Amino acid sequence: MNISTRWIREWANPDVGDSELSEKLTMAGLEVDRIAPVAPAFEGLVVGHVVNCEKHPNADKLSLCEIDIGDGSNLQIICGAPNVKKDLKVVVATVGSVLPSGLKIKRAKLRGVESNGMLCSESEIGLSESHEGIIELDGPCTLGENIRSTLDLDDQIIELDITPNRGDCFSVLGVAREVCVNYNLSMPSIHYKADQKGNTPFNSKVANPDECAKYLTRVIEGVDNNAETPKWMAQKLLRASQQLHSPIVDITNYVLLELGQPMHAFDLKTISGDIEVRSAHKNEKLELLNGQTVSLSEKTLVIADESSAIAIAGVMGGMKTATMPDSSEILLESAFFDPIAIAGIARSYGLHTEASLRFERGVDFHITHQALERATELVLEICGGKASQINECVDSTSLPALEPIDISNDKISKVLGFDLEPSWIESKFKFLEFDFTANTDNSWTIKPPSFRFDIRIPADIIEELARLYGYDKIPVQRLSINANISTSSQAAISANEFSNSLVNRGYKEVITYSFISHEMHELVSPNAAKILLKNPISDDMAVMRSSLWPGLIQSAKSNIRRGHHNARFFELGQCFSGTSVEDQVQKIAGIICGNRYDSQWSGSEREVDFFDAKSDVQSLLFHSKSEYAFEAADHPALQMGQSAKIMKGKELIGWIGALSPKLQKTLSMPNSFLFEVNQKSIDQGEISCYEPFSSFQASQRDIAVVVSKEITADQLINSIRSLKQDDLVDVNLFDVYEGEHIDEGSKSIALNLTYQSIEITLTDEQLAEKVSKIVAHLESKFSAKLR
Amino acid sequence: MIKKIITDATNSIASAMDLKALDDSRVLYLGKKGELTDLLKGLGKLSKEERPVMGEAINEAKVQIQKLIESRKNELEEIALTKRLLDEKIDVTLPARNFEKGSLHPITQTLNHIQDIFTKAGFEIEIGPEIEDDFHNFSALNIPEHHPARAMHDTFYFDANTVLRTHTSPVQIRTLERQDPPVRVIVPGKVYRCDSDVTHTPMFHQVEGLIVDKEASFSQLKGLLIDFLRAYFEKDDLKVRFRPSYFPFTEPSAEADIECVICAGEGCRVCKKSGWLEVLGCGVVHPNVLTAVNIDPNEFSGLAFGMGVERLAMLRYSVNDLRLFFENDVRFLNQF
Repeated sequence: MNISTRWIREWANPDVGDSELSEKLTMAGLEVDRIAPVAPAFEGLVVGHVVNCEKHPNADKLSLCEIDIGDGSNLQIICGAPNVKKDLKVVVATVGSVLPSGLKIKRAKLRGVESNGMLCSESEIGLSESHEGIIELDGPCTLGENIRSTLDLDDQIIELDITPNRGDCFSVLGVAREVCVNYNLSMPSIHYKADQKGNTPFNSKVANPDECAKYLTRVIEGVDNNAETPKWMAQKLLRASQQLHSPIVDITNYVLLELGQPMHAFDLKTISGDIEVRSAHKNEKLELLNGQTVSLSEKTLVIADESSAIAIAGVMGGMKTATMPDSSEILLESAFFDPIAIAGIARSYGLHTEASLRFERGVDFHITHQALERATELVLEICGGKASQINECVDSTSLPALEPIDISNDKISKVLGFDLEPSWIESKFKFLEFDFTANTDNSWTIKPPSFRFDIRIPADIIEELARLYGYDKIPVQRLSINANISTSSQAAISANEFSNSLVNRGYKEVITYSFISHEMHELVSPNAAKILLKNPISDDMAVMRSSLWPGLIQSAKSNIRRGHHNARFFELGQCFSGTSVEDQVQKIAGIICGNRYDSQWSGSEREVDFFDAKSDVQSLLFHSKSEYAFEAADHPALQMGQSAKIMKGKELIGWIGALSPKLQKTLSMPNSFLFEVNQKSIDQGEISCYEPFSSFQASQRDIAVVVSKEITADQLINSIRSLKQDDLVDVNLFDVYEGEHIDEGSKSIALNLTYQSIEITLTDEQLAEKVSKIVAHLESKFSAKLR
Repeated sequence: MIKKIITDATNSIASAMDLKALDDSRVLYLGKKGELTDLLKGLGKLSKEERPVMGEAINEAKVQIQKLIESRKNELEEIALTKRLLDEKIDVTLPARNFEKGSLHPITQTLNHIQDIFTKAGFEIEIGPEIEDDFHNFSALNIPEHHPARAMHDTFYFDANTVLRTHTSPVQIRTLERQDPPVRVIVPGKVYRCDSDVTHTPMFHQVEGLIVDKEASFSQLKGLLIDFLRAYFEKDDLKVRFRPSYFPFTEPSAEADIECVICAGEGCRVCKKSGWLEVLGCGVVHPNVLTAVNIDPNEFSGLAFGMGVERLAMLRYSVNDLRLFFENDVRFLNQF
């Protein structure tokens, strides 16, 4: 909310400057986002009177003016503005004055005629962008007077960022109250009473009193809505960023800003019969003041006449019953609508109005009557007319209950962590207009004022005291030591351990958005559940990712486009197979492409391959010391024959493989290898348990066998291991060969067997027997042939 | 005779230019058929008196020649080694083999830094789901339907009851549902708001903190957060101020500002000339929140705080554009 400090100071005027005042408000919880003067700095501009105005002898578009600035001698000034004429009151920049632009006014000759100053437009003195000719001053003003005081320019606008709990501060009255509380000033009391000379009753009734506990109306007849909104009011409204309309509407806006009570004025002639405040009928239509026609929901409270809804209660009036320049009979409305009834209604129609803003947060239900009197006073003063009696529909049982709140000094000390003086507390209660009684047990019973919807429980009162004491003055204490020792297992493997494994292998971590495009979802995880956002920012960010690969592919791709071809990226993040908690799992994934290493002076370049990715995956898996297997399997995003499931026993914990040629083409990606593992499946290790090692010498034996190409390395090794041969401690595959001397469809596999006994040194004969058993096993199981 | 042999041997050894030539000299003088050996063999022919004198002289000569050979051998080895060292000299400034610079994302580094500080103060780390239900994200946090605060959240929806969490605060509720007080946790994680422009990304990170204990006061919260901010920015005298603010789930509520780390409080573009930077929100947990998870607010008090990780990372690493964090450009990532 924007408001001028001048206006606030009419209500509460502490003896401090504006910047100090705004600092105080910020520290009291009314955050001042900005404070700006209404006009830039300038001096030497005075009020002048155009005594004479003739056409310049040598120029068609220039005028030769004689200006009286009150010092007896008239100035000759040349003016180019089209609106200059005799008898105008104008803003005169005299010789020597400096405009905000830095322009210094000098005596000059224009087309051969002397000019001793300049007549100013609003843009020239920084009041607006308007170049529409020179300023025409109206009303009484003294010739020669400094224009800053004539136009009231020594004022500043503060922009307040008011939190949702402080609906009471959306008005000059509310801000002034805060100023008074903070500077220990007493608030001026308000009492408005308009002359009542008319006697036109108006009937209204309320069908839902729990949603509208007060509905006040008053007829004013014989108003002149063509009258001009007075300067003082216009200025305040403009400085509060409120546009000017007709005087009637300006007055309702003025009372809203001044007292915080949203008001509405209907053109009485357009209302048929009585008014009823009721719930809207289903799909009832209403054309609003902004020209929008809405189809109302039954949850919406409306103001209706006998024929139809004429306004959405607490949000916006209707077009049909709006006041027009020729309206002469008006019905002024001032009401109290329950915040719960109004909450969300404006938003459900895509609206956000000054009225709904206030009603949603709570409007003082004791100001309804005063606001109506205030508005009436202003209407009579500005537009004339004759006000009739106030028609009141009030259901006091439906007004918010101001339940007493008990608060003890102990509770205050406990929450704040230090003691406040009871006398200080009570003085603040007074300034806050809390109705309180002190109890004998060092506690108080408090009734909050009707304008404070945020004071309902003891904690609310404690906050009031804390902020008035000053958060900055509250002493600082340390938390006591927490002796609870973390119970996390030594065997647990943290996300950081995984990350560091990959970082040490040259990976860079990326963080990508959790929502991806439809296209990426279909390409990478066509079989996964498609979790759609109802209101995505764009189609590119509409589907919750079920894999980290789309983000990694995009990261690699954008970096390749920038010339970084050797990509090694990884990401840790949640992936989604549904919206329940169990469907959200943390995954670790990586992508590599380009050369394994940047080109270097030693060694030759080579492209990354499957086994580089596999090595990186194993750097993640080894932490847990569990057994994992890579099983050839097909994946829609991966190249057939170069992809594998990563298994932990029977559990599928991840995938690894080459990006499929089809996706490479669609996504314009080079050869790339991807992996992804569920973090939960690999983050539990085991505590190591020492096993004695043999002091006898280990012996190595190598065998090479020829087997069918279909036989996998894992099959051979697992089969040898399954024999559980005594003293066989390791099997290592060290060569795979296909080609010359090996039959088509076969391959040679060389295995290194390590034997070691815990009791003896094995003899050559013993070793030979063990090896021959293995060879025999391979021959029978895989039709292997020893080379 | 012996003198001549010694002279000859000395010359021969000195002129040996490699180990082979040196060995030839050894054979020539000390070998089985060498000159000294021959003399020894001739001892028998000498008289009883001459024999020991001659024998001693021959042995002395032998020892002397052996020493010469040994010393020449050392010299030759030294020369050979020097030559080898020269041959094997390398340019130690050549780049290391296969060195790769990996990196953790700056947001992860910031999260780690924050977590390290709080775990030292006895906080446990909790995480929670990113797709949340209305109860955990809003209602349990004292944000009923149509509360004005909901409008400020720009929520992503899946259906009327299911949202992308708008803050890490729902994990407060999940923690208290699972664990009895005392509780002291921080919650790092991703959060989502339906907002995207120069200063907003639809996904960002927060760290939430929660303390629930029999004694937990606003002054302790102030102390903890001042200590944290000073530790985070590694500045013992960092100015921190607390302002009243509003969050539905805390009462009293506060926002903490630090003196602008860019201009040291002088006023600059980053702090919008105020000299202060808002860095976190905090407060005493609202009794309704404790009640929502069946904790008696008269017995226990809660303190909560939350901070934007990107904001802290930007200030710490002088990053001037939020969006850089999610573009994953290696020219950016390489700097961390």
